[in-house]
Amino acid sequence: MPKPEPKLITFEIDGREVQAPEGMMLVDAARLGDVEIPFFCYEPKLGAPVGACRMCLVEIEGMPKLQTSCSTPVKDGMVVSTTSERVKQAQNAVVEFLLVNHPLDCPVCDKGGECPLQDISYGWGAGRSRFIEPKRHFEKPVALSPLIAIDRERCILCYRCVRFSQEIAEDYQLVFLERGDHTFVGTHDGHPYVAPFSGNIVELCPVGALTSQAYRFRARPWDIEDAGSICTLCPSQCNVKYTTRDDTRVLRVLARDNQGVDDGWLCDKGRFGYQAIHAPERVTQPLVRDGGALRPVSWERALSEAARALARAGGRSAAIVGGQATNEEGFLVQHLMREVLGSPHVDSRPSGVLDPAQARALARPDLTAAVPDIEWAGAVLVLDTELVDEMPILDLRVRKGVRRNGVRLVVATSRPSSLDPNARAVVRFTPGAGEAFLAALGAALGDGRGLDELAGRAGASPEAVRAAADALRDAGPVVVVWGERLSGGERGRQAVARLLDLARTLELAGTEGAGLLEVPRGTNARGLREVGCLPNLAPGLADAAAAGKSAGEIAAAVPEEISALLLVHADPLSSHPDRGAWERALDRAGSVIAFADFLTPGLEEHATVVFPSESEAEKDGTMTHPDGRVQRVRQAIARPPEVLPNWQVLAELCERIGKPAGVVSGPAVFERIVASVPFYEGLTLAELGGKGVRWQERDGAGRVPESTLPEGGLEEPPPLEAADLRLGTAPSLWSGPVVEHSPILRFLLADQRVELSVEDGERLGVSTGDEVAVTVGGASVRGVARLRSDVPPGSVFLVEGTQSENATALTNGRPRAVKVARAAREVTPA
Amino acid sequence: MSYPWSEDVITVERGPEPGGVGGAYRVLGETLRGLKTVFKQALSKPVTIEYPEEKTPVYPRFRGRHKLHRFEDTGLEKCVGCSLCAAACPAGCIRVVAAENTPDHQVSAGERYAAVYEINLTRCIFCGYCEIACPFDAITMGVDYELADYTRSDLIFTKEMLLADPIDKTPLRAEGE
Repeated sequence: MPKPEPKLITFEIDGREVQAPEGMMLVDAARLGDVEIPFFCYEPKLGAPVGACRMCLVEIEGMPKLQTSCSTPVKDGMVVSTTSERVKQAQNAVVEFLLVNHPLDCPVCDKGGECPLQDISYGWGAGRSRFIEPKRHFEKPVALSPLIAIDRERCILCYRCVRFSQEIAEDYQLVFLERGDHTFVGTHDGHPYVAPFSGNIVELCPVGALTSQAYRFRARPWDIEDAGSICTLCPSQCNVKYTTRDDTRVLRVLARDNQGVDDGWLCDKGRFGYQAIHAPERVTQPLVRDGGALRPVSWERALSEAARALARAGGRSAAIVGGQATNEEGFLVQHLMREVLGSPHVDSRPSGVLDPAQARALARPDLTAAVPDIEWAGAVLVLDTELVDEMPILDLRVRKGVRRNGVRLVVATSRPSSLDPNARAVVRFTPGAGEAFLAALGAALGDGRGLDELAGRAGASPEAVRAAADALRDAGPVVVVWGERLSGGERGRQAVARLLDLARTLELAGTEGAGLLEVPRGTNARGLREVGCLPNLAPGLADAAAAGKSAGEIAAAVPEEISALLLVHADPLSSHPDRGAWERALDRAGSVIAFADFLTPGLEEHATVVFPSESEAEKDGTMTHPDGRVQRVRQAIARPPEVLPNWQVLAELCERIGKPAGVVSGPAVFERIVASVPFYEGLTLAELGGKGVRWQERDGAGRVPESTLPEGGLEEPPPLEAADLRLGTAPSLWSGPVVEHSPILRFLLADQRVELSVEDGERLGVSTGDEVAVTVGGASVRGVARLRSDVPPGSVFLVEGTQSENATALTNGRPRAVKVARAAREVTPA
Repeated sequence: MSYPWSEDVITVERGPEPGGVGGAYRVLGETLRGLKTVFKQALSKPVTIEYPEEKTPVYPRFRGRHKLHRFEDTGLEKCVGCSLCAAACPAGCIRVVAAENTPDHQVSAGERYAAVYEINLTRCIFCGYCEIACPFDAITMGVDYELADYTRSDLIFTKEMLLADPIDKTPLRAEGE
C-alpha cells in the first residue's frame, strides 16, 4: 500500500480554529491546538483505537451523545468542546467509576509518580468518591511471567496489553478472562506469558497492574534520571532510555520512540539485559596471564605487556572485531593494525570474504532500504534470516506492514520462520543453498527457463518458488530483508551476485521505498565495514593497500604467519564457524589480547591480556544501523573505577608501540572517521543528535566508490549423501553473555536443541525430547531433539552461540552434511 | 544610584547639651535606675541553665531530629518506602531505596519496605515537609536537638538510628509553661 498523502482540514475545538491532517483521531488533533484530552486505552502504536476506557469523551456539535475522541476521526468544520459541563460531568463519572475497584495503594505501587491514573484523577476527577462498598479483591501480586508481575486489583481493563499481544507481537497469549468485575488479564492457557517482546506491556500499562520484576520497588520517578542512548545488543540498535540512579546504576531500560528505527518497541533482551552491566562476573580490571591463570594487574603492566607483544609481532598480528564495537573502536583497531603494526589482517565478519566490488554495490544509497520502508512496501522478501532471533524489532515491523498496510510477505528461509503464518508465499530451501534459490527466483521472475532444475538444486519446490515470484511481481516497491548468513562462507560471493541480480530484476535501485536491507550478525557490522574493518577494504569502502586475511584464514595462519591476535569484543570460539580451527589457533598464538566485559570460555583459557571493556551504558561513540543510520551511543552511568574507555586504550597502545594515533578524545576519533569515510562527510555528533542521521540522505551519499561487479556463473553445490542431513545453524536471541549474566533472563538461556523433520525423526528412531548427537568429520554436538512438522526433510537445525555444545563446532563456512544419531544418555554420578 | 538634586534642608533634632548642672542631674538619675535593676535581679532566681547537665525543655511541636515509627502491636515498620518524603524534601537530604517484603522477611505492613532510609542531617532544614508528605505517619519530627558530631558522615542518620529511641530524652515543656 502506498503511503497516504496527508491533507489538512480545519476544525474548531474549545473555540479555537485548529488545522489537522484529515482522518487523524480527534484526541491527537486536539493536541495540535494545545488542548489536552485525557485517555487511558488510546495508543496509536497499537493500531485501531478501541474506545475501551471512555475517558476521552467530548461533545461534538450535531451529535446527540458524547463521543470518544480517540476513535472519532477529525472532519472539516467539526465543532468540538472538551470543557462543557456535560463533558466535565462525564469525565468525573468515568474517573469515579475507574476508582471504584482500583485500590488506592499508591505509596506501595510501583507506578506511583509516573501513573496516568494518578495524573488524570488529579486533573479531571471530582476529587471524591461516593463509593463505600468493599472493593474487588484478587490475590496479589502474581507473577505473569518471571519478568512481569501482575496486580489484578489495579487493572482498569484498558485492553492495551491484550491488544499488544494480539495485534503487535501476535503471540496471541494474553486475553481477558471472566466477565464483569471478575475480569482479569491472563494467558489463555494459564502458562506464564513468555514471549520475546513481553516487556513492552509493562511500559504500555497506564496503571501499576503490570510491573517489571526487575524494576519492582527499585526507585521512584524523582530518584532517577533518564539517559538516552541506543541498545547495542543486536543490529536493530533500538533507541532506548536508561533509567539511572545516583549516576552509577542502570535500573531499567525503556524504549525511546524513533519511527526510523524501532517504532517505540523494545525486545526483552534489550529491556532486561542491562542486568549484566552490574553482574559480579564482569571484568572490571585489566588481567594478565601469569602462571597459567588470568590475574588482575595494574593498567601500566597490562598496557606494556600488550604493547610489547603487538610490537614484537608487528605484521604478524591480526585483529578480530566483534559486532559490539563502535565505529570509533573499529577505526582505531584498523588504524593500529594497518598504520601502526603494518598488518593488513583485520576482519569483523565471522566467515567468508566480502568481495570489495560487491560490498560497494551493497552500500549503494539507492539500493538500501530504510526500516520504515518495510511498513509501506508492496512486498517484503525475508531471505535466509529469522528476524525474531537476529533483529527482533524488524519482526514487529514486518508484522505491522502485513497487518495494517497489506504488505505481501514472502518468506524464503531454510529453517521454518515465525513469520510463515503471515506470509503470502513460503519457500524452504536446503541450508546453504541460498544462491541456488536466488537463481531459481530470478528464473521464475523472468522467463521461467531452468526453474525446475535450479529449484531442485536449492532443494525447494518449484511451485513455491513460482508462488514467491508471483507475490513479488508487480507488487510495487519490494524490500528484501536478507541475512548476512547468505553472504558468509565460501559461496557467499555467488549468493551476493544473485542477490544483486534479483535487485536488478525487481528494479530496487530505481524505485522509491524499495531496496535491500541486510540483517547482519554483529550489532555494528555495517559501521565496522564502512570504517575499514574488513581485510580487503580500507575506511570508506576503498580498496585496502594490501589485502589481508579474513577471519577463517587468520585462524588457519596461526602460528606460521600470525603470532598475535587482538580480539575486540569477540570470542571466536563462540561466534565464529569452525570452532576446532579456532581452538587450535588460540592455543598456538603467541599472545591473545582481548577487550571483553566477560570472560567467555575462549578468553578464559587462551587470552594473555584482557582489557576490561565498557558496558553499553558506559560507552560513548557512534554506530551505524544496517540501513545506514549513524546513531550515537551515549554514556549513561559512570564507569567502574578501573575501566578505561576502549578508544583510550587503543590510542595508548598506538603510542606505546611508537606511532601515536593523535587522538585525545572519543569525538576526535569520530572526526577522523568523518575525514576518512567520504560518504560520512560533514557529519557531526551534534547533527546525529538523539535520533541519528541516515548518511544516504545527506550530500555525501554520492561518494560511495563505484567499481564493476565481478562476473561468475553458478557453481554446482557439493553432492549430498543419502544418509546425511544438511546442517543449518541459527543464532538464538537468548544466547550470549548478556543473557548468561542477567539473573532475570537466565531462565530463557538457549540450550542446544536439534530440530528435525518428523520424517527424518522416524527414520532415525528419534523423538522429541531425546538426546541426540550431531556428528561431522570427528566433531560432535549433543542436543535435545525436537521434531517439527514444518522442517523440510533432509535438514537439521542447531543453535549457534550456546554456552555449551555450540553449533560452531560443526560449521566451517561451507554447506555441511551431518549424521544425527541418538546419544547414549550420560550417566551422572550420584 | 544617584539622588536627584534638591534644595530641601534636613534639620536634625538634638538632645540637650551634655555637661553643666542639668547634665550631672540626668547622669545621677540614670545611674540610680540601673542600680535598681541590678539589686532587683540579685535577689531573684538565676535563669541560666547548666547545659548539658540540664536541658531546655521544648514545646511538643518543636521540629527536631526525625523519628521513624513501628506499629506497636506487630512491631512492623510503618514506612513502606514510598519515597514521598524524599520527593517533598526541599533540601534533598532524604534517600530511600525500597525493596520487596517476602513472607520470611516481613519488614513493613505492605508489599514494599525501605531497605535504605537515610537522612543527611547536615543538609536538613527541619521544615517538617517529610512529616506532612508521609501517607502512613511513619516519619515524624522528634524533639531532639542535640545534633552535633565530629564528622559529617556521622550525621547521615540511617534507618536503624531513626527507628531507635534517642539516648537522652529531651524534656518537654509542661502545659501552659
